Amino acid sequence: MADHNSHDMSEVEALPPTPGARIATFFNRKEVRQTVILGLAYTILFIVLGRFVYPHWMPKVLSKQLQSEEDILIWFTVISAPIAGIVLGIATQSFMKMHRGDTPPEDGVAIRTNTPVVIIWTAVSALFCTVAIVWGLVALNTESIAAASDAPKSLIVDVTGSQWVWSFYYPQQNIHTHTLNLPVNQPVTFNVVSDDVNHSFWPVQLGVKIDANRLVTTIAHADPTSVGPLDIKCAELCGLYHAYMETNGAVQSPSDFNNWVSSIQATGGVQR
Amino acid sequence: MTNERNFVDTATPSKARTSLGALLAIVLGVGVVAGVGFTLHTISADPQPAHYATKVGTIVAADGKTYNHYVISDGVYADPINSKAHGNCATCDGGHPSWPSYGPYTDFVLPANSYITMTLTVYDGGEKLNTPYFGNVVGTVDGTATYDGNAKTSLPADGVEHTFTLHGLPSSSQDPLFVNIPLPVNTDAEMKAYNADPTKLPVGHKVTFSFLTRGAGHYVWNCEYPCGDSTYQNFGAVMGQLGFMSGKVTVVNG
Repeated sequence: MADHNSHDMSEVEALPPTPGARIATFFNRKEVRQTVILGLAYTILFIVLGRFVYPHWMPKVLSKQLQSEEDILIWFTVISAPIAGIVLGIATQSFMKMHRGDTPPEDGVAIRTNTPVVIIWTAVSALFCTVAIVWGLVALNTESIAAASDAPKSLIVDVTGSQWVWSFYYPQQNIHTHTLNLPVNQPVTFNVVSDDVNHSFWPVQLGVKIDANRLVTTIAHADPTSVGPLDIKCAELCGLYHAYMETNGAVQSPSDFNNWVSSIQATGGVQR
Repeated sequence: MTNERNFVDTATPSKARTSLGALLAIVLGVGVVAGVGFTLHTISADPQPAHYATKVGTIVAADGKTYNHYVISDGVYADPINSKAHGNCATCDGGHPSWPSYGPYTDFVLPANSYITMTLTVYDGGEKLNTPYFGNVVGTVDGTATYDGNAKTSLPADGVEHTFTLHGLPSSSQDPLFVNIPLPVNTDAEMKAYNADPTKLPVGHKVTFSFLTRGAGHYVWNCEYPCGDSTYQNFGAVMGQLGFMSGKVTVVNG
């Protein structure tokens, strides 16, 4: 077989005989130590960003669902920080130290498998992935159980998407509206449909986003926990005025919500 | 066999040349992006001329406040030729002679913090709304609109020709403004002469409604009656193009 490398294999430094010695040798290399330091610095940066900065860029949390999603986003960012950190550390170290101008260097010697490093790398990555998967499944299952148990006491809102306006019908109150108001601390079930093309119902501060399809009702559940304004958007590109397919509303105290309902019932059940 | 590479020696460019090349690349990139943006903006602009509301005096609204009173009017037609939305000529149809159209205007400019009375004269037939909600009068000063002089709060879903549905982006930078006016259908009998000869418009129905503007802002309106072609539940074709059954409303200060 032809030798594809100009280096004689006899020139390759023999690996130390034990895994511990291999690890020690590996970390004694200057570029490895520099990479580790860079990786740690990036990791700390991403953890700080994920834990303390990103939450300020997220919508105001008005429901259990959005709180759960925000927790997942923050902690997944923290969990993935070491992986991103070490990758960026390697990239930075390579760019800063290995770049040799416009003339590319010759190929390096073949790297033989360093079993302990491979095992550690694979195990840590698998651990991170497992945590992420289990966390997501637990959160999803928790939401599903809560939706089923809360269904009997839920406020029902029928949501209809039409190019390019949202409209709402509250069957228990028999009112039609174009804004979405909800009482705090009462579960709500959204029955979502479209009258034309596909839309996506997205009350941002509730952490709910679900397709609105014609002839098929999709169901979403939310637990409003704080009062505050709501922004309702369409998250599915749906034509000319998709960008304008927005409305607003609020999570209100029960008394404010009841007053709002009464005011609409007083005008024939239609929000004027 | 050794794997020898033959590298071509190239003169190392000077820092000045390298910097100039980088600068030119950035300028070229910015220029391309700006050109694409400008072209898209030009293409997407509403081709119709703006229609300004006219002041007719002052009026005391139900909230007891006195507002400047402005009026504005438009029409709704079964075809763009009669609407004159695309020009006052016998062939100005925007390339779509069978599309219904508001006209002669689809781009309205209204003053902020004013009492607006809008009159729409409608000359088209109709079938049935996809969403019955849009059969309701919403957003007017008293919850009603007058149809040939008769105040109503809604029309039946199968009695609607088109709708004037005004809405916008709810944001901290502009006030919400939502108005929905269902427009009455011209019956088959009323449309008979027109269907035989498109130059003979039906008498039409006059719909008048008033609403209050608040702060300045950019809004859009569209028809919620399914008057497009057979695609997208009749929301294709005309429903997806500016200048026919949709347009802009700009609320301005001063």
